[in-house]
Amino acid sequence: MTEKVCILGAGSTKYGKLNESIIEIALGAAKDAIESAGITPKDIQAGYISNVFGVADKQVHMAPVIMSNLGISHVPGLTIESACGSGSVMFREAFANVAAGFYDCVLALGVEKVTHTGTAHSTTLFSYCSDFFYEGGNGASFPGLFASMARAYLTTHKATEEDLAHVAVKNHENGVLNPKAHVRKKITVDDVMQSPVVASPLKLLDCCPFSDGASATILCSEEFAKKSGRPYVEVIGSGRGASPAAVQGREDITTIPSTVAAGRQAYKMAGLAPKDIDFAEVHDCFTIAEIIDIEDLGFFPKGKAAHAVRDGATRLRGEIPVNPSGGLKSKGHPIGATGVGQVVEVFDQFTGRAGERTVQNAEIALTHNFGATGASAAVHIFRKVDRK
Amino acid sequence: MMEKLSQQSGTREKFISAANRQKISANKCVSCGHLMLETVLYCEKCSGSKFEDVELEGAGTVVTYTIQAVAPEGFEDAGSYAWVVFKVENAQLRASGFLPGIHTPQDLPIGTKVRVTGFDAKHGLVLSK
Repeated sequence: MTEKVCILGAGSTKYGKLNESIIEIALGAAKDAIESAGITPKDIQAGYISNVFGVADKQVHMAPVIMSNLGISHVPGLTIESACGSGSVMFREAFANVAAGFYDCVLALGVEKVTHTGTAHSTTLFSYCSDFFYEGGNGASFPGLFASMARAYLTTHKATEEDLAHVAVKNHENGVLNPKAHVRKKITVDDVMQSPVVASPLKLLDCCPFSDGASATILCSEEFAKKSGRPYVEVIGSGRGASPAAVQGREDITTIPSTVAAGRQAYKMAGLAPKDIDFAEVHDCFTIAEIIDIEDLGFFPKGKAAHAVRDGATRLRGEIPVNPSGGLKSKGHPIGATGVGQVVEVFDQFTGRAGERTVQNAEIALTHNFGATGASAAVHIFRKVDRK
Repeated sequence: MMEKLSQQSGTREKFISAANRQKISANKCVSCGHLMLETVLYCEKCSGSKFEDVELEGAGTVVTYTIQAVAPEGFEDAGSYAWVVFKVENAQLRASGFLPGIHTPQDLPIGTKVRVTGFDAKHGLVLSK
């Protein structure tokens, strides 16, 4: 890698049930990102798009369609799919191409639209992201797969379902402060415990919602960012990892190997350790996922995260704030956009756009996003750039 | 007990055929001896591609599971059931399957013994306890 890579602009639509077409949703986020970067589409040299279920809104081969609607049909685009991790995996490719010097300025955009298919069919679509022969085909939904991980974790580490509930309560507490969040409602541990069981031991309020939405970022070289005279954020670490696709293939069901590998790579590139991270946006598709994530990323020893969450360590004013945006649980989970949305949150935090949910005195942030039950994952680390 | 099998084509068909005889079809790497489910083409330990076919008893113990209160499409008529990860008996190998008739966690403590009863086109690898 030769070039420093920066984020010059970022934007998101609201996450939730959206009426527009998938392309219109994507364009909304693209416009916000382009305007926040102070550039025009003609500055964009390539487009990286992440999406999973475009076919559900009758559109695949999405990158050229988005580029054409931005008035830059001559600019090459690439669409990437990696289940719920599509956004971060795509972001990594955009990062690598700018770092390698192929481009000075690119658009990295994630988009999803599934809510119009209904909950039952969305659940089926998502199950196609599992190792279907062994998992979806044997009756496991995604809540079911994570529930099996939750049961293994609770059994191994003597944690409780109430401990898991604290993750949901904390993320909703943050999401209330995020005007673009899908579910802006405070909840209590009792609310979670009394919500209907989806797949034991997980209950409805342990699960993130199905969401539509798009998020976009403008990545560029340091030289391009400096010339702009605008605020920007530097990408200082990037890592990718992989795990056996099926849960049954993992020796330890209470850890996600792809997260561990991606985290180690990103920390090494950044020359940092978990203790140096001021806040993190992690993949909390289900409450158990956040518990496992923050152990695998090194914020807490194995088996200790559930208790740390219960004690408030990951709250907005805690020792390591996790998911100040509200996370997938409250902000929402438009799966093609989620990994990019995490980067948008970092940009907002570091450029004074996060309002009441701003993490005080933060200078280093980490994003973590995975596909399916963690078969693929990417971790990125960012540094706030002081333009004074 | 492991039993040697003759070569067949189609790894999934082979796995399904074995399941219908209440067996688990697996590959044992000739180079390093690592054991994997039938559907893996290269050894995950040494990348070897030569395997000895083995059939394992379709039995094991529950490692983890969920009870799907909200069943996905295709399983709405399955009643209350569990999706189960189990350790295959006498082997360092895990598999997963569909176990009908499970209503509460008390019905299925971790470590419960389960058996493969067959492969159902609608519900996949079917287990009983």
